[in-house]
Amino acid sequence: MKKVIISVVGRDRPGIIATVTRFLFDRGCNVENVSQTILQAQFSGIFIASIPADAAADELEMSLVDAIAHLGMFAHVRDLSAAEANPVFEDAEPFVISTRGPDRKGLVARVTEVIAAYGVNVTNLQAVFKGGDDPDRNVMIYEVDIPRGVDRQALQTDLRKTAAELDLDIAIQHRNIFEAINRI
Amino acid sequence: MLTQREILSTLEMLQNEHLDVRTVTLGINLFDCASHEPERLRENVRNRIAAVAGHLVTVCNEVGDKYGIPVVNKRIAVSPVAAFGAAHASEDLVAVAETMDAAAGSVNVDFIGGFSALVEKGMARGDRALIEAIPDAMARTERVCASINVASSRAGINMDAVSLMGRTIKRAAALTAQRDGIGCAKLCVFANIPQDIPFMAGAYLGIGEADAVINVGVSGPGVVKKAIDRALEAHPDMDLGQISELIKRTAYKVTRVGELIGREVAEQLGIAFGVVDLSLAPTPNVGDSVGEIFQSLGLKAIGVPGTTAALALLNDAVKKGGAFASSHVGGLSGAFIPVSEDLNISESAEAGHLSLEKLEAVTSVCSVGLDMVALPGDTSEETLAAIIADEMAIGVINKKTTAARLIPVPGKKAGEKAYFGGLLGQSVIMPVNNAAGDNRFIRHGGRIPAPIHSLNN
Repeated sequence: MKKVIISVVGRDRPGIIATVTRFLFDRGCNVENVSQTILQAQFSGIFIASIPADAAADELEMSLVDAIAHLGMFAHVRDLSAAEANPVFEDAEPFVISTRGPDRKGLVARVTEVIAAYGVNVTNLQAVFKGGDDPDRNVMIYEVDIPRGVDRQALQTDLRKTAAELDLDIAIQHRNIFEAINRI
Repeated sequence: MLTQREILSTLEMLQNEHLDVRTVTLGINLFDCASHEPERLRENVRNRIAAVAGHLVTVCNEVGDKYGIPVVNKRIAVSPVAAFGAAHASEDLVAVAETMDAAAGSVNVDFIGGFSALVEKGMARGDRALIEAIPDAMARTERVCASINVASSRAGINMDAVSLMGRTIKRAAALTAQRDGIGCAKLCVFANIPQDIPFMAGAYLGIGEADAVINVGVSGPGVVKKAIDRALEAHPDMDLGQISELIKRTAYKVTRVGELIGREVAEQLGIAFGVVDLSLAPTPNVGDSVGEIFQSLGLKAIGVPGTTAALALLNDAVKKGGAFASSHVGGLSGAFIPVSEDLNISESAEAGHLSLEKLEAVTSVCSVGLDMVALPGDTSEETLAAIIADEMAIGVINKKTTAARLIPVPGKKAGEKAYFGGLLGQSVIMPVNNAAGDNRFIRHGGRIPAPIHSLNN
């Protein structure tokens, strides 16, 4: 079975998912996984679908782009390799890195640069302005998976150093603490 | 994926509301350290504490660091010394206390509890020796805490032991007169003492416990106060049922933190996890006070009319929320109202809002009792014993734990200040009213029988 990954972006409006999934159904494709989010009225969706053996990703993309053009949306379709379709996840522990402090250019780049240097993957990133327009109350939340082999102390030391340079308060905590406190 | 609200509310509790783990207390069974040779006994105790507790502080710090939650205190509780040291004379038991003190210091814990005896029904030879050793032991050590259980709902009140504790407290105060009687701040007299308290001065490892166990005391009162303040700011018309619900939810959260950290510390040390103690334990810091909660609830200060009802609400809500959050709850599990250790409570006593009598009344609805109460230095042994007896009666009749940690401050009078320092804090000396003259009641001695409701088999 061949698999493709489809990304769809554009201004959010009713009917996007209905149109995309109807398109895939009509072509004998089976949607296996969907993730969608809306950011400042912009829609972004990722679909992983299995497709018939005689279908091809580039043809699928052309016709999908046509099918959703009237919605003002754009799509991209690409084949998933066998390795990508059956990923092996590294043994890692989930942590949450949060920073608070003045907003400035390059803030995410500087922090994620440190994270990436340790081979740590960001699984979710959120920016929250707790104080409305107040840039000092800007909170960035990075959910990350830290592989077990990574020297966590060294990562923390480097992150704290970078945070200090950026005038940020930083906290690095295992995800379980948030689940323990908030979930039954 | 975590939600923004889950993350932000947790960060808020940590950064602005003093969310922490108040204590991780390692219980160590010392029964097999017993020996007829005093030196051998001390060596066994020293070696056992070093072997079991050697990594306690490091592991607590590592686990605290992993979750971003500080473990404020790391402590040790051992089997009652009066039991495993029963063969020894009191001077030898003082030496055992010194060994415990040094052993605790060598593993970097600030307090070690278990210089204890259980005498609610009668005193054995070892118990007498231990109680006799208490004043010297408290004077010669920094970290050792003593507790004596003189009453229970099953056995009644051992009034001979109560009288003896009145004398012992006076002697402990005299031997530490230079430091305002600080020896008494490490000495607690109990009714219905639990076997698994993680908090000092009452922590000891009970006779029914395993070789080693980790018990945890949850975060302090700052989190609860801030939650009440925030909710009332948003909804000033909240009724007490809604406030109780809010406290319950907050207690659930802080208990989950204690449970998570305690279990992980226990796992890493290869030791069984015991209980979470739900007590709200204050410190002498602003924002970490049980007394401030009363003000958040709308009372002028702890001690004014309405205090007992407010504390009943608080204590019950904390227990309900905590019990849902942890499968094993134990220890004292209720709000503490230690006068000198809670800045707001000692200020309330100084301002005259809180009297000894009102303090005794509110102990009928909270977990401990007359805790860290500084009294005039000339308070007699008999009066101290009588105050203890009253407090024990509240515990025995209501089938709950009560305790008395009384400090007759040598050379000082009511209205003057006593200074103990650190977590023990400072306090105005509270007057003892109507204490003049003989107290023949106490002198009768014997045992006040167990109440009728002890016959529940």
